[in-house]
Amino acid sequence: MRCSPLLRLSVLLGLAVVARAEPVRITYWEKWSGFEAEAMRAVVDQFNASQDRIFVDFVSMSQIDRKLIVATAGGDPPDVAGIWFAQMSSFADRAALTPLDDFIHRDSGLKVDDWLAATYPPVYADMQAYRGHVYALISAPGTTALYWNKTVFREAGLDPEKPPRTLAELNEMSRVLTKRNSDTGVVERTGFLPQEPGWFGYSYPAWFGGGLINDASDITLAGRPENLAAANWERSYAELIGVDQLKVFASGFGSFASAQQAFFTGDVAMVFQGVWFDRFIAKYAPGLDYGVAAWPEATGRVPGPPIQAFTVADADLLVIPRGAKHAEEAWEFIRFATSANPTARSRDEVSGVELLCLGQQKPSPLRVWSPWFGENHPHPHIELFRQLAASPRAWHAPKIGVWTEYLREYNTAIQRIRLLQVEPAAALDYAQKRLADSWQRHRASVARQAAAAGETAGPDLGPAALSPGSGDLQPAASLEVRPDKEEGSP
Amino acid sequence: MNSADWKRLGSGLSFTGLWIIGFSVFTLYPVVASLYYSFCDYSVLQRPLWTGLENYRTLVADDVFWLSLRNTLYFAGAAVPLGTVVSLSLALLLNQDVKGRALFRTLFFLPSIVPLVASAMLWLWIFNGSGGLLNWVLGPVFALWGGTPPAWLGDPAWAKPALVLMSAWGAGHSMIIYLAGLQNVPRELYESAELDGAGSWAKFWHITLPVISPVIYFNVVMGIIGAMQVFTTAFVMTGGTDGNPARSTLFYALYLFSNAFYDLRMGYASAMAWILFMLIATLTWIATRVAARSVHYQD
Amino acid sequence: MPSATPTRRFSIYLLLFAGAVLFAFPLVWMVSTSLKSPEQSAAFPPTMLPRSHYVQVDGREAEVTLDRELTGRPGWWQVTIKDGTGTRLELPRAEVDTRVEPRWENYPEALARMGGGRVGFGTFLGNTLIVCVLGVFGAVLSNAIIAYGFARLKWRGRDAFFAVTLATMMVPMPVLMVPLYGVFRELGWIGTLLPLWVPAWFGSAFNIFLMRQFFRTIPEEMSEAARIDGAGEWTIFWRLILPLSTPVLAVAALFHFLFAWNDFLGPLLYLTRQETFTLAIALQNYQSQAGGVEWPLLMAASAVVVAPVIVIFFFAQKTFIQGVATTGSKG
Repeated sequence: MRCSPLLRLSVLLGLAVVARAEPVRITYWEKWSGFEAEAMRAVVDQFNASQDRIFVDFVSMSQIDRKLIVATAGGDPPDVAGIWFAQMSSFADRAALTPLDDFIHRDSGLKVDDWLAATYPPVYADMQAYRGHVYALISAPGTTALYWNKTVFREAGLDPEKPPRTLAELNEMSRVLTKRNSDTGVVERTGFLPQEPGWFGYSYPAWFGGGLINDASDITLAGRPENLAAANWERSYAELIGVDQLKVFASGFGSFASAQQAFFTGDVAMVFQGVWFDRFIAKYAPGLDYGVAAWPEATGRVPGPPIQAFTVADADLLVIPRGAKHAEEAWEFIRFATSANPTARSRDEVSGVELLCLGQQKPSPLRVWSPWFGENHPHPHIELFRQLAASPRAWHAPKIGVWTEYLREYNTAIQRIRLLQVEPAAALDYAQKRLADSWQRHRASVARQAAAAGETAGPDLGPAALSPGSGDLQPAASLEVRPDKEEGSP
Repeated sequence: MNSADWKRLGSGLSFTGLWIIGFSVFTLYPVVASLYYSFCDYSVLQRPLWTGLENYRTLVADDVFWLSLRNTLYFAGAAVPLGTVVSLSLALLLNQDVKGRALFRTLFFLPSIVPLVASAMLWLWIFNGSGGLLNWVLGPVFALWGGTPPAWLGDPAWAKPALVLMSAWGAGHSMIIYLAGLQNVPRELYESAELDGAGSWAKFWHITLPVISPVIYFNVVMGIIGAMQVFTTAFVMTGGTDGNPARSTLFYALYLFSNAFYDLRMGYASAMAWILFMLIATLTWIATRVAARSVHYQD
Repeated sequence: MPSATPTRRFSIYLLLFAGAVLFAFPLVWMVSTSLKSPEQSAAFPPTMLPRSHYVQVDGREAEVTLDRELTGRPGWWQVTIKDGTGTRLELPRAEVDTRVEPRWENYPEALARMGGGRVGFGTFLGNTLIVCVLGVFGAVLSNAIIAYGFARLKWRGRDAFFAVTLATMMVPMPVLMVPLYGVFRELGWIGTLLPLWVPAWFGSAFNIFLMRQFFRTIPEEMSEAARIDGAGEWTIFWRLILPLSTPVLAVAALFHFLFAWNDFLGPLLYLTRQETFTLAIALQNYQSQAGGVEWPLLMAASAVVVAPVIVIFFFAQKTFIQGVATTGSKG
């Protein structure tokens, strides 16, 4: 761990003062439960054992998003909380998060953006920067890839070792893999369905080379030909299978976390999934003959190696809610839980974020992985996911305060397109109009709140990215639903 | 007011005193606060800022608001009558002189106390388009005409009817209230009606129905209030607050909830809540007007 | 109603049985799922009885999952040995030995896992009982007193206040949530069980409405007679009305018990530490477990949460329903 001399001194002084006092107890709310919570609990225990000034009380709870909002509004938030990347912009716009800039600068001696760039691959660095501040640090990240079922490929006469490398190949293979009952014509298998599981449907426009917002954070859903191409492509699958056939066929899919899930049964031969998927395969479809590859190239460019491929990045974040009683101690813990011992050569030496990501079978978000972590990671394809995170085409959901609404509007538009209820262009136009209105109201509200709070300089409502956008891709990122996050609630 | 009036007032207030406190602290204050919020730009996380009628103006122009209202009225308009018929029929059946009544009563009541998550999962399976129980039964029937049964929750046209059907499952709760009302019907009334040669239908129509009319009124009002706020089953079964497919099950409370807690527009959500409040109040008022003519209290 | 013809009796029983099958099904399904293996619980088409499948491998019996029938080889199935290795076999269905075998071990496992191993099931149960019992007492007592004021006394402003009371039932919960949270925070109740049962002692519109409806069916002449005998209103309430009202008190008690037992939103908002969780919230916490839900364990936990409610209802229903007929007019 990097420690400035000043910090060490203050720590020593602090130790002297509180030598006989009880440790400061801080509360940490986390949305994870089950093995993911246990992985973080190990980190908390490690932190608590590493010093005696701060004791972290780890509480794993469901419905954390709403509870956090209510508790923060009530002025009684936890000191540390785990949130989703999808919530960060909205929470930050609503002044619910404590900026970490001063802490970072004090501890590292670096400018915040320099520190981010030095510590993380670009996509993760960008995810943590919002409107010139850092409000959250990544605890556990993930990237996505194409999973294909080799057994089904073989049955359909395709080379099981050759996943599609371009969109055209994906479509062609999908056609070949689609199987209908010879008597009734009922669809029994498909190669690929944009909506199965469809968690990353919001990334298709960016995958096609378009984007959801521009550098000025304007909504750009309608009016970009790439976005329309993506919508037309979704529609083409509804036409290929047939709308009514699709309704019935898709309703036969088992739930995600079961052996009857469409990919496990071979009903759908190719899916886009995240780094967590291998663990589900091991649990629900042990022995499944499958492969993992980068997303096919959808922009018409020549496909390159995975390190240049498109991927969707997402992350769980640690934040200090505004009004937390022990922000200083909370930061100590966050710093511990998001950094690692870079020289760990045995399991016992693995610490912080690496310990967490080992337990959760995810890649470490850091640029530097310790020797032990890289060599002994339990995930069979961890290297691919690491490479994808470093790709210049690694993409994350837009950092925009109305993102949850954006996702909802987008998904509704695509559903209506798939049901052939409305033409793709009209559906996108409609969503664009609603979102643009809402975004305008959101900006006005944020400006109004800033003025009321007496801020001399209101928040900059321009580009969300701290650094200029990477290539023609929009900054952005996240999955609304993921099986290892909590599902719906009453 | 004379001294007797004052005395009666004092007596009335002493009995209702607990409620005056409870009402003020746990209802009136929050309601007034939310009314205030409905005129504010309020994210929950920051101070409410007065914006006058802006939330209401935005609502009127919001297509999805109107859609969610239509969906909700559709649901309430179908679920309340269906629930009333089912629960009253069950209560009438149980009110017969039958063996094992306690057991049947318990069985009918059970679904209304099974945790909603559990029953929602069951119904997801029953409604499943390809492997579900309902279409397993309906498939051969539809095949007679060469058709196939609908995909229910997967089909925008059939998702709401599916949820209405499912709501009848929880009829046990109001059935219990009807049953209590039915047992309150004086037996002498039936006996004297039988002496006059009245048949079953006449007895039901002229004795049972008038006597239990306060209970029907009660249940219908509670049914309307519940149906207008329908939330949990849709939330669990049709994709959180999205109202899948294609917003066909986006009910009022879901849209309100997503505004309040996902989009952090508590002021907007409060305005929606107040419109819902007014709407429910109007519907209840209509029910009360109807009741004033047809409900009989045994005073 | 007596004197039913045989045909009529038959059709009544037929309807009752049909209804019972329809209504009891979810519970039966819940119990049967709670005794299944995870694979069977997720299988399509679903089967009712818990089954296990075994094959002979190298002379030893091994449990397997039945994956699917092989395409192009009718009667042959792919199975996976349940030893974590994912070893797959293809063999005729006849070689798979299928037995009905309830997995009772799901129950202790579900209870043990519910608290994540740190907080016991007993703690959740204790918390729930505190909330339920204190709440039921408060709800029955306070609402009876309040409803008496609305049903049996005439005072200026009563009907207007009652109308307002009814109106409170229509206020959607999301609106109350945030301001209420502020109230409880001011009272210092956040993180304790107090917000879950104390409000019950201050009346609720639903129970006031319910009790008022029933109190009004008790003939006014009875009260008048007592008044002529010199009884005050509290005496009439305690000595006359309350004893006649045990059925509606039972209804209110049962409803409040059910509400408190299943209440989800309240605990969700006000409880912050696992040590204070009630069963409903512990169950939900369990349901939202990472890596997907294991339905048998969730159903086992649900069954444990539902069982007391069923038992209480089964035994309480006599007081609950029968007594109603004897109140009021006959007194």
